[in-house]
Amino acid sequence: MSSTPFSLYIPRDSGMHRLHPLTKLALVGFALILGLFLPGDWLTYLAFVLVILPLAAWAGILPRFLPAVLKTALPIVVSLFLVQGLFWPGGTPIFHLGPLSLKQEGVTFAIRSAGRFIMVISSFLLLTFTTRPDGLMLALSRHGVPNSIAYVMLATLQIVPRFQAKANTILDAQRSRGLETEGNLFIRLRALFPLIQPLLLGSIVDIEERAIALEVRAFGRAGPKTSLLMLHDTPAQRVVRWLLLLASLAIIGWRVYLGLAA
Amino acid sequence: MERLKRDFSTISLVMIPVAIAINIAIGQLVYTLKLPLYLDSIGTIFVGAVAGPWVGALTGLLSNLIWGLSGLNPAYTAYAPVGMIVGLLAGIFSQLGWFKVWWRAIIAGVITGLVAALISAPIYTYVSGGVTGSGTDVITAVFRNAGFGILPSAFAQGVSSDPLDKAISFFVVWLVVRGLPLRFLDRFSRAEDLR
Repeated sequence: MSSTPFSLYIPRDSGMHRLHPLTKLALVGFALILGLFLPGDWLTYLAFVLVILPLAAWAGILPRFLPAVLKTALPIVVSLFLVQGLFWPGGTPIFHLGPLSLKQEGVTFAIRSAGRFIMVISSFLLLTFTTRPDGLMLALSRHGVPNSIAYVMLATLQIVPRFQAKANTILDAQRSRGLETEGNLFIRLRALFPLIQPLLLGSIVDIEERAIALEVRAFGRAGPKTSLLMLHDTPAQRVVRWLLLLASLAIIGWRVYLGLAA
Repeated sequence: MERLKRDFSTISLVMIPVAIAINIAIGQLVYTLKLPLYLDSIGTIFVGAVAGPWVGALTGLLSNLIWGLSGLNPAYTAYAPVGMIVGLLAGIFSQLGWFKVWWRAIIAGVITGLVAALISAPIYTYVSGGVTGSGTDVITAVFRNAGFGILPSAFAQGVSSDPLDKAISFFVVWLVVRGLPLRFLDRFSRAEDLR
């Protein structure tokens, strides 16, 4: 199996990459809490500059990280300013565009929501770009996540690219048989079933063999399992993880104290 | 407990990655065909139908987590509760025998779609300010213009797409269940609910 796993992990030899997966998870969890719970309109942007960007720079992934954040955030941000900025009911107009006008309240709301959204997606992207999925799953299964869940997550990452290839093969095969996949909505909708059916039936029947292969390798057996991959943890990182947890709780507490509307 | 253990058999656990891959591959096929649908939970609904609500819920949850953490769609992770509910409901409707008749499967899909819209609206509102970044945001804009709040407008946007989307997905799963050999279906814990 030489198919590339379904993940945007970028291998680098950086300090960020060498951190224990749980430490990275704690960092990203903290960034997520900052994004979801910081009050006001601008603090999330500050957190992006002071927390996310330095971590991405430390990992040496900025040239690929920033375009990925931009690509994911752009449709939402544009839509936010159009929908909430232009159609805010009864707002104060600040700028006229023909029959429409940009409302003060809508723009403020859009700025606040965009900051939150950018923090959420950039936290997840940071984790994806710097963490090997198998390392993360190994760390989680050592800390109480069932082995079967770890298997499911990793197997999925390996299977998805093969399924994408299979979907494209079916698309090409049906097209070469004369299936119309372009044209009006009805034509495209009709093309859907001849594409979905072979993909579904073929792949579902395959799994019986996979299940047998796993069962003869003691998949369902209870007890500890060994792993080829080694994880490095340090006492300092353990302390940092606890501090990040406390800091996250403090942020949530601060927000609850200020009230959710703040 | 005994039931749960039978639900989470090796074949169910092996089915989950395949189901998630089906979600993603069909989701992208639909995107390629430029259809105004998602159809990104057919695998989840199938697992719910053949292995019950709990395995279905786990599949939906992991599907969103993995899709999000793969980096292709980071915001998907936030919608994990929606995926969970879709798998759970598919399992419950299967237990009620609604996957035996095609039109019942469609009604089950419509109900699931409404519930999905109800749960995703608050998430859209908080995480992305009530917009999805896709064409259906026009509906949100129309409702906002008419003076509705952000949450009701996001819900209206969901209702415009989710029930139809899930009705088609449930119908496809009904077709698939018909198309699979009985010998194969019998490996799953809830096969008796489908006949």
